[in-house]
Amino acid sequence: MPRVAEPIDEYLPTTPGELCRWMAENADGEQRPVYPVGGRTALRFGYPAAAPGITLSTAQLARVVDYPARDMTITVEAGIRMDDLAAVLKRERQRLAVDVAQAHRATLGGAIATNTSGPRRYGLGTLRDYVIGVSAVDALGRPFKAGGRVVKNVAGYDLCKALVGSLGTLGVITQATLKLRPAPEASALVWAAFDRLSLIDAALARLAVSSTRPMALELLLPGAATAIAAEAGLDLPAHRPVLCIGVEGAPHEVQWQIDELTSELAEFHPHDLVAVNALESLRLWFALTEYQVVSDEPLTFQASVRPSQAVEFAACADQLGISVQAHAGNGIVLGHLSDRATTLAAAHSLLAPLYDFVRRAHGVMTILNCPPDWAHGLPLFGDLSPAWELMRRLKSQLDPKNLLNPERFFGRTPRDA
Amino acid sequence: MTTTDHDVSRSAAGVGAAFLTRLESIFGEHGLIRQPEELLVYECDGYVIEKNVPDVVVFPESTEQVVKVVNLCAEFQVPFVPRGAGTSLAGGCLPVGGGVMISLTRMKRILEVNLRDRYAVVEPGVVNLHLTQHLKGTGYHYAPDPSSQGACTIGGNFATNSGGPHTLKYGVTVNHVLGAEVVLPDGSVVQLGGAVEDTPGYDLTGLFVGSEGTFGVCTRVTVRLTRDPAACRTLLAVFNSVREATQSISQIIGAGIVPAALEMMDQGIIEAVEAAFHFGFPLDAAAVLLIEVDGLEVAVDDEARQIIAICQAGGAREVRQANSPRERQLLWKCRKQAFGAIGRLSPSYCTQDGVVPRTKLPEIQEFITAVGQRHAIRIVNVFHAGDGNIHPILLFDERDSDQVRRVLEASEEILLKCIELGGSVTGEHGIGVEKISLMHRLFDAHDLDVMRSVRQAFNPGGLCSPMKMLPTAGACGMEHVMQKRPGRRAAL
Ligand SMILES: Cc1cc2nc3c(=O)[nH]c(=O)nc-3n(C[C@H](O)[C@H](O)[C@H](O)COP(=O)(O)OP(=O)(O)OC[C@H]3O[C@@H](n4cnc5c(N)ncnc54)[C@H](O)[C@@H]3O)c2cc1C
Repeated sequence: MPRVAEPIDEYLPTTPGELCRWMAENADGEQRPVYPVGGRTALRFGYPAAAPGITLSTAQLARVVDYPARDMTITVEAGIRMDDLAAVLKRERQRLAVDVAQAHRATLGGAIATNTSGPRRYGLGTLRDYVIGVSAVDALGRPFKAGGRVVKNVAGYDLCKALVGSLGTLGVITQATLKLRPAPEASALVWAAFDRLSLIDAALARLAVSSTRPMALELLLPGAATAIAAEAGLDLPAHRPVLCIGVEGAPHEVQWQIDELTSELAEFHPHDLVAVNALESLRLWFALTEYQVVSDEPLTFQASVRPSQAVEFAACADQLGISVQAHAGNGIVLGHLSDRATTLAAAHSLLAPLYDFVRRAHGVMTILNCPPDWAHGLPLFGDLSPAWELMRRLKSQLDPKNLLNPERFFGRTPRDA
Repeated sequence: MTTTDHDVSRSAAGVGAAFLTRLESIFGEHGLIRQPEELLVYECDGYVIEKNVPDVVVFPESTEQVVKVVNLCAEFQVPFVPRGAGTSLAGGCLPVGGGVMISLTRMKRILEVNLRDRYAVVEPGVVNLHLTQHLKGTGYHYAPDPSSQGACTIGGNFATNSGGPHTLKYGVTVNHVLGAEVVLPDGSVVQLGGAVEDTPGYDLTGLFVGSEGTFGVCTRVTVRLTRDPAACRTLLAVFNSVREATQSISQIIGAGIVPAALEMMDQGIIEAVEAAFHFGFPLDAAAVLLIEVDGLEVAVDDEARQIIAICQAGGAREVRQANSPRERQLLWKCRKQAFGAIGRLSPSYCTQDGVVPRTKLPEIQEFITAVGQRHAIRIVNVFHAGDGNIHPILLFDERDSDQVRRVLEASEEILLKCIELGGSVTGEHGIGVEKISLMHRLFDAHDLDVMRSVRQAFNPGGLCSPMKMLPTAGACGMEHVMQKRPGRRAAL
């Protein structure tokens, strides 16, 4: 079994300047590995730490730096909790249009580092579309920034993109500027249960030319549908596969779309069709966002396939007894391995057909969460493409001593050759 | 401006006979040009202030040919620069230090269109508008629509992260690129991202977009396709003062409305555009706003009404609505071809590109007027107002060196003011060679160091489009280029 070392010490900088000095000292001196953390909701994503080091918490970097609401941008420190950020924005009837699970704990910096997203990515995109400026500290203690505070800007390389999804391996994000959107006046979801997955596939093809403009196209196998309905506290038909479609806008716009979707779906004969409105819709959005994290089950994966392959992938998972939620309009499929997979070997054999599927489909499968001692037995980031060599080069340019989350992306590599 | 700290030499003697022979064996006589009179076309792009001819221009028709020329350049240590249609306004295509120009215009196939999965795969030389036309009638389109879309290429858009009027609502190029095939300066071919989302690892696609040709050559792009809006309304709001117009812009955005497009044209531009297209613009208006809302049929009228009310409260003397698709098209034609009409106003012009927070538009426009007066340079404006992306156009006569000097001074003052107001020196045209000297003003030494490190990961030898984007500071692996080619600067 590979050695899994828990970082022991914790460091909580109170200003970016202090953080820089500390990082520089570490890089010049002890060179201990540094493990940045935000809300600690996604620390199982990526390869576990191989050596003890220092946990660097951004908890005290949580200020709102500048909020010119009428420019529809905000600049905040990275340790701000997503819920707190949402509350600030809500006062101006604005929002960051990205769904982040466990928003009461998750921080903006963590969400950026893990490129978190949720159901509304179909209509609204992901964090890379909203982070327009960023400040960070590299492993040598150099503060750097990129982008700016205006919504359009092409001066210099767009390091915001490099940091979104970088899993804390390129720099400690200390501050970000976000592009905001007006909060919608209303939202609603259509929850339609079908007898067969093939009907959902046909319905999804139809929706590609719908007269409506959905924000979310979610496909739920019965297990996921049951869990999500329960989390939302709603009595929804969940024994069959479900297609759940979310819309937003002015109240009459929302109502028009619900009516329209109901009639567009009729031709595919849903077994049940329920419109979820008003406050209940907020609870359902929430539950759809949380599903990827609410689980005691040992392993969570995310498959990326083309949207047209999402239903087929779900069918494959279904046959293996694995329930999934798919952001079907994006081809993103999330699933938890049932607790039948109590060993790495069992997980392996369960996942094998899914790995085969994504290989055939030119997609990829990522493990978002698994027991640390399984990590080196699984291809956490799928089959590595030639682009990984370039990623390694980028990592070693920005972190030549390999101090920041040294193993997370690339697994165990000899430190400091 | 401005002594930029790069070095533009007069080409020649850069590449030897052995190199050329090898190059000819790759491209044949029809895939390459090297006669001085033919090369002249390539001495500059849309930024005409600095010029330098490349030693040779090649026209690859495949990724394999790009790999071969890049490998050859590496072997002989010859610099190379990718080029699309050459509409860059920042000198991105300038072959600093000569060398090989790799023109991608013959790689212009649309390789795949997949509507169900909302993507298309195209070669870099595909002209932006051709993709749009190809998609007509499918219910989908490619959203980024730079005003130069009739000429510029998707590869050029990718490299400069282009914007356009409709990027206000839909986002700029990077928001619509899913992946790319690139040839790195070491000759390796790497697929970044692709048709599936969330490919693991760093978002190298996002990083490559906007790298202005300094990371390698893009040979294939996977772009996101967007549903056509179900309905739209196009408005023309007429104002008696620029201030009222710019204040109305902040009011609209501040009210939480995100129009599909929100463009401003001032009196000088209106005059030129009217002379060219006879739309019926009021010639005495100080400014007009061209505003488009789109969305569901049930929603667009409400939004249009709100905007009309805001404009009227803001002092608009008239708000017209385009009554037919033809009228709408003509309005957009006027806007997008406004640059072409400027020839009527002046023999030469310099289009600036800056950004301010949208609430600062009134302030920056007043500043621009004052700068124009102080330097006795006429400045007209047509720009992506909803994004705060200004385009003051400075009119001058290239033959008058004093005017040229004043234009450059005025430009710099405007851009520095953008920085002071919390903005940027370029919203879409890029840094290229034109704005290298301003990078210090926007970024500090650490920022630039880190950017250099990033470039080092892609382009460690520095052969790919040297002397662009980042000011040279200390060792960047490009010293040999400078040493071999001293002397500087073409025509001013
Ligand atoms: C009248 C006019 C209006 C314009 N309006 C707009 C506008 O509304 N919005 C906007 O954003 N821009 C606008 N521009 C600027 C320009 O059109 C854009 O920057 C455009 O994207 C450039 O495309 P191109 O094919 O001409 O690229 P080029 O000018 O040929 O190249 C631009 C840069 O990209 C690099 N490059 C080109 N192709 C590749 C490739 N395949 N791989 C790697 N690097 C490559 C070049 O080295 C260069 O640095 C306008 C220009 C003009 C002249």
